[in-house]
Amino acid sequence: MTPRLHPFTTLTLAVCAAVVTTAAAYWPLSVAVALAAVILAARHGIAGRVLTAGAVILTPLCLSLLVLHGLFFPEGQTVLAQWGPARVTAEGLGFALELGTRTTACVLVFLLFSFTVSVPDLVSALAGRRIPPQFGFVLASTLTLLPAVAGRLDRIRQAQETRGMVGGRGLLSRLGTLRLQMVPLVLALIDDAGSRAQALDARGFGSPGPRTSYREVADPPAQRLFRAAALVFAAAAVAGRIMASWPAGAAS
Amino acid sequence: MTAATRTALQIRIEAFTFHGDDAPVLRDAALSVTPGSLTAVLGGSGSGKSTLGKLLAGWLRAGHAGQFRGSLELGGTVLEFRGVPEDPRINPAEWSRRVAFVPQDAAAMLSSVRATVAEELAFGLENRATAREDMLRAVERTAARTGLSHLLDRDPATLSGGELRRLAVGCAVIAEPDVLILDEPLASLDAVGAAQVEALVRGLCGAGTGVVLLSQAADRLAGEATRWTVLDAQTAHDGRTVTAAGTVTAAGTPAQLAGSAELERAGVIGIGGPGGIGPNILGSGVAAGARRSGPVPAAVPGPGPASLELRGVGFGYAGDPRRHGTGAQDRVLRDVDFAVRPGEIIAVTGPNGAGKSTLLRHFNGLLRPSAGDVLVCGRSIAGVPVGKVAASVGLLFQHPRDQLFERTVLREAAFGLRQLSGKAGAEGKARAALAAVGLAGTEAAHPAELSASRQRLLALATVLAREPAVLALDEPTVGLDRHGLEALQGAVDRAAARGAAVVMVTHDLDYARRNAHRVLELSGGSLREI
Repeated sequence: MTPRLHPFTTLTLAVCAAVVTTAAAYWPLSVAVALAAVILAARHGIAGRVLTAGAVILTPLCLSLLVLHGLFFPEGQTVLAQWGPARVTAEGLGFALELGTRTTACVLVFLLFSFTVSVPDLVSALAGRRIPPQFGFVLASTLTLLPAVAGRLDRIRQAQETRGMVGGRGLLSRLGTLRLQMVPLVLALIDDAGSRAQALDARGFGSPGPRTSYREVADPPAQRLFRAAALVFAAAAVAGRIMASWPAGAAS
Repeated sequence: MTAATRTALQIRIEAFTFHGDDAPVLRDAALSVTPGSLTAVLGGSGSGKSTLGKLLAGWLRAGHAGQFRGSLELGGTVLEFRGVPEDPRINPAEWSRRVAFVPQDAAAMLSSVRATVAEELAFGLENRATAREDMLRAVERTAARTGLSHLLDRDPATLSGGELRRLAVGCAVIAEPDVLILDEPLASLDAVGAAQVEALVRGLCGAGTGVVLLSQAADRLAGEATRWTVLDAQTAHDGRTVTAAGTVTAAGTPAQLAGSAELERAGVIGIGGPGGIGPNILGSGVAAGARRSGPVPAAVPGPGPASLELRGVGFGYAGDPRRHGTGAQDRVLRDVDFAVRPGEIIAVTGPNGAGKSTLLRHFNGLLRPSAGDVLVCGRSIAGVPVGKVAASVGLLFQHPRDQLFERTVLREAAFGLRQLSGKAGAEGKARAALAAVGLAGTEAAHPAELSASRQRLLALATVLAREPAVLALDEPTVGLDRHGLEALQGAVDRAAARGAAVVMVTHDLDYARRNAHRVLELSGGSLREI
C-alpha cells in the first residue's frame, strides 16, 4: 500500500501540474498530463466518475472552443474551408486543440484531486494553518454537496413518483420532470442550511478566535520538502515561459 | 441555599413573536430549571414547545429571530427583554456552554463535515480552541457517558436512530453544560434505543445537569420528572382578530397533574407511547394516545384477489444503499410471503433497522425484489413504473419532509390528483383529505412552516386523497399528539371501511396490537405472525 499523502501534497501536485501544463502550452504535454490523470484515476478505481464529471464540464467547453477558434480565428492564414464570414483555418484548429487539451488536463487533474482527497483531512489541515474554519467548511460542504444534492433529488423523485408522476424517456419529458424537482430541491436545501446554521452557531462555529483540531494529519518532512520543490519547479516553469515569450512580445 | 435547590435557568415570557408574524407563538409562559432535576414540558403539536426550548437555549435569539418580551435568568444573571433594539444580545456559542439543546431532528445537530463520531463530538471543543489532550479526554468521557465508546471511529452517517440521538446528546453535553434541553428525545426510537436514551438522561441528572424534556407524550421518562409544565395553544381575542399562542395552562408535580383536564386538552399522549395505557399515570379521565374504546372493527374480506400479495420476495442492498443487489450475506428480506385482503389492517413491527421501510418500498416498486414477485390487485408490478403503481398503492414515508415538496398545503395534497380525478375533482378531493386529517384552514400555508406533527398529517392527506386500494404507512404515529393520533386512526378506519388494504409499519407494538387485525414481526428478513 502506498504511504498516505498529506492533502496539501496532493493539492500542490494538482496545482503544479496545472501551472506547468499552462506555462508549457505544448499540447503533447497536455495530453500526457490528462492521460496520467486518467491512469491514476483508474488505479484508484474512480476513472468512471472522473471521466463522467470531466465529460459534463469539458464537452460544452471544447465544443465552444472549436466553434469560436476553429471557425473564427482572425490570425488564421491557411484556410481549409469557408462559409461566408466563417473560415476554418489550420491555425484556428491548432489553437483550439492547444487550448482544449490544456483545459482538459487541468480539469481532469483537479477532478482527480477532489475525488481522491480525504475531505476531513483537508479541512483539518486547513484549520491547522490558521485558515478561517469557515473557508474549510465551505470547501468541505462544496465537495460533499453533490452527493447530498443527488440524495435529496432522489428522495423528491421518489415522493413524486409515489404520487403518480411517471417520468418519460424523451428529453422534453425529462426536462419537465427536472423542472418539477428543482423548486422543491432548492427550498429543501435552503431549509436544511437554515436549521444547521443554528446548531453550528451554538457549537461555536461562528465565533472568532483560534481553533484546535482533533484530527491529526501526518505531514512527514519528506512531503514538505517535496511540496517546496514542486512549487519552485512550477515557479521556474512560469518564469521560463515569461522569459521565452518576453522578447517576442516586445518585438511585436 | 444549596446547589440542589438553586435555580440554574429561568425564563419568563410575556410574548415571543417571530419576525414577519402578526401574533405571538408563545405568551404568558414561565419555566425554571434546578440543577440535577428533570423537568418535563408537555404539550400537543403546535403548542410552542420547540420554540420555548430554542429560546431557553439561545438558538432563537431575541431581536435576531423575533421579538421577545420577558426575561431570562442564568446562574443569577438576569437579562430583561423589552422587544426593543437596545435589548441585551445573547452570544449563542457562549450561552450553549451553559445551556445545551438537542433538536427533534438529531441529524440537524451534526456538523456534517466530520468523518467519525469522535471528531463530531470534538467539533464544538475545536471551535473553542480546547487543547488536544483535553479534547481526547473529553471525547473519551462523553463517549463512555453516552454509550458511544465502541462507535468512535464510525461515520456518523451510518448510525442508527438511537445511536444518532445519543451522539447529538453527546455533542451537546461534551462542554458540561448546567442545563440540557431535549426536544422529543424518544421519538421514532425502538424500545432498546429509548431505554438507552432514558438511562443517559438519568445519568446526566444524577451528575447534576438540569434536564428539560420537551414532549407530547407523558411517557415513562416524563413520569420520572419532578415537575410538569403543560403548554397548550390558547386562542385569544385582541379586539379584532382571534389568535392562538402557546401558554402555560398548568404546572405542578406529575401526581398533581395526572388526570387533569389541561393535560387532556393539550393533546398529550399517555404513558407507553401512542398505543400505551394511560390511566396509571394520567388518571382515568385522560384518554391515552389512540386508545380504542372497543376492538378494531372486524375486517370484511372483499371479493376478488388480495389487494397486495408478496410471493417469495427477497432483497439485499449491495454497496450503495440506493441500488439493489443480491448479496446473500446482507439480505434484508428473505423469502417473504404475505397477502392483505381488502378492508384488512395489518401492522408490521420490528426493531430499528430490521428492514420495515425496505419492505414497504417494495409495495409500489420504489425498490424491486431480487427474488420473488409483488402483486397489486392480482397483477404483478414487475416492470410497471412507480408512477403507474401509485394509482393503486399510496405510501406514507417515514420522514414526512421527504414527501413534501410543494409550495402550499393545498397544492401538496392536490399533486398528481388531476390525472386521477380531473381538474375540478382534484381540488375537492384534496380539500376533503385535508379536512379528514384536521388540516382544514391551513391550505395556503407552506408545508415547511407546519409543525412536525402537522407535516406528517399533511403527508397522510396526500396519500388519502388518492384513495388507493393499498395504503402503506411507514411509522405513521411518530411525532403525532393525541389529536393527530385520533385523526390518523379515523382516517385508517375509514380507508379500511371503504375496502382499502392497510399495511402500517411501526416500532410500537402496543399501538400495533390495538389498531390492526393482524400483527407481523419482521426479524432476520422474515415475517412471522405474533
